[in-house]
Amino acid sequence: MSDKNQKTLVFHVSGMHCSACILMTESELMEIPYVTHAKSNLKTHSVEVTGEFGDKSPEEIAEELSRTLRTHGYELSVEKMQKNAGWGDFTYALPIAGVIILAFILLQKAGLTNLITSSEVSYGTAFIIGLIASVSTCLAIVGGLVLSLSASSAKEGGTWRTQTLFHIGRLGGFFILGGLVGLLGNSMHLGLTANVVLGSIVALVMLILGVNLLDVFHFTKKFQFTLPSAFSRHVVKGSKHDHYLAPVLVGVGTFFLPCGFTQSMQLYALSTGSFMQGALTMTVFALGTFPVLALLSFGSLNIAHKPWKGIFFKTAGIIVIALALLNLANALATAGIISPLFNF
Amino acid sequence: MDKSIFVSVVVSGLLIGVAFWFVSISPNTGKDAEVVPTATITDGKQIIDISAKGGYSPRKVVAKAGIPTILRVSTKGTFDCSASLVIPKLSYQKFLQPSGTEDIIITPEQAQGTLQGLCSMGMYNFQVVFQ
Repeated sequence: MSDKNQKTLVFHVSGMHCSACILMTESELMEIPYVTHAKSNLKTHSVEVTGEFGDKSPEEIAEELSRTLRTHGYELSVEKMQKNAGWGDFTYALPIAGVIILAFILLQKAGLTNLITSSEVSYGTAFIIGLIASVSTCLAIVGGLVLSLSASSAKEGGTWRTQTLFHIGRLGGFFILGGLVGLLGNSMHLGLTANVVLGSIVALVMLILGVNLLDVFHFTKKFQFTLPSAFSRHVVKGSKHDHYLAPVLVGVGTFFLPCGFTQSMQLYALSTGSFMQGALTMTVFALGTFPVLALLSFGSLNIAHKPWKGIFFKTAGIIVIALALLNLANALATAGIISPLFNF
Repeated sequence: MDKSIFVSVVVSGLLIGVAFWFVSISPNTGKDAEVVPTATITDGKQIIDISAKGGYSPRKVVAKAGIPTILRVSTKGTFDCSASLVIPKLSYQKFLQPSGTEDIIITPEQAQGTLQGLCSMGMYNFQVVFQ
């Protein structure tokens, strides 16, 4: 291997958004036998590749290297591709999001809550209440948060591990906190003000994540920094060096999210007066919500590697933004600041 | 303009329109012909009955202003948000038992104007209009 056969070329990388992507692209490229060195740059979205390319044209090399990286969602090109915001994806994303939002509203209007006929809580009813909760207006806040976090995480190269840890945290958190509620006889309800504040914060986080999912505006890259960097680093970007703790904590945190169903289950857990009964009731309830939430989080992870991921992320972005605005309007209405805009 | 974009915009516009139509039917507009229920007065006390399950019913009640009033909210197997009642004007917040009735005392001074009640997540609401 003589040095004169070595060539250094600079390619533009599309799909590189995070610091984990730098390591990813570099290590993947270095694994190609004839590549001796690779250096990625997040700011310029470019990678400098040194290696023995023979007399292949830069276009051919870009195509060859892309083949390796494509499975991870990156694409190399010789020319810096014009910023392709994927406006074309909106042609599909907008109506799809519309249909989903409409279906969601119709579902609420269908009077699902009337399916609960018993007024006694057994583990069976707790499970059914969980199932109903996961497609009810709670979906607007818990599901919306799960969708925005997991779609963002998938987009930034997060793995199934981040999502799994979230669900483990949620189920485990519901068990332990449910048990504590039963044992201590303290419902851990947040007060009105805390509810409004928490609702607004969740809505704002969702709004920022939603706008980022759209991936249209340049200024949203700056928006990204308005989320605490630790939050975005550990929770959203499931990098290889991710903490185990963060997704678990977010999962546990969903116990406190304002959701009527969760709160009435907590109230019941409180009335049991025993650790095991409280813990089991809350866990069974959380298990009831699991199918829909798992579909949202693992579904987005799966879709993130499909060719039509652009449409998915934009659809998810629109839905998340719509839910965020709904939550914000609701939080403000609850505070008595504005009169209610919606009634389901 | 591209045909598919045009179709997309029209379809989305329609969907958004329908969605808003569904959720924004406020109790004040629309079905004017529908009789707005009035509160019952017994022994000088006004009682307003509201049932809470998957929303509040009736959505709008007309009551007499300036007299002692009891807002009676009844729940029956209510596990959804409507059990988590908030009345911002009265600074009232309570998580109602899944089944039972809750009496909320409204003083003559408070029985003025429009009282808005909603669930803590804000998606269900009702109004009491004092006249």
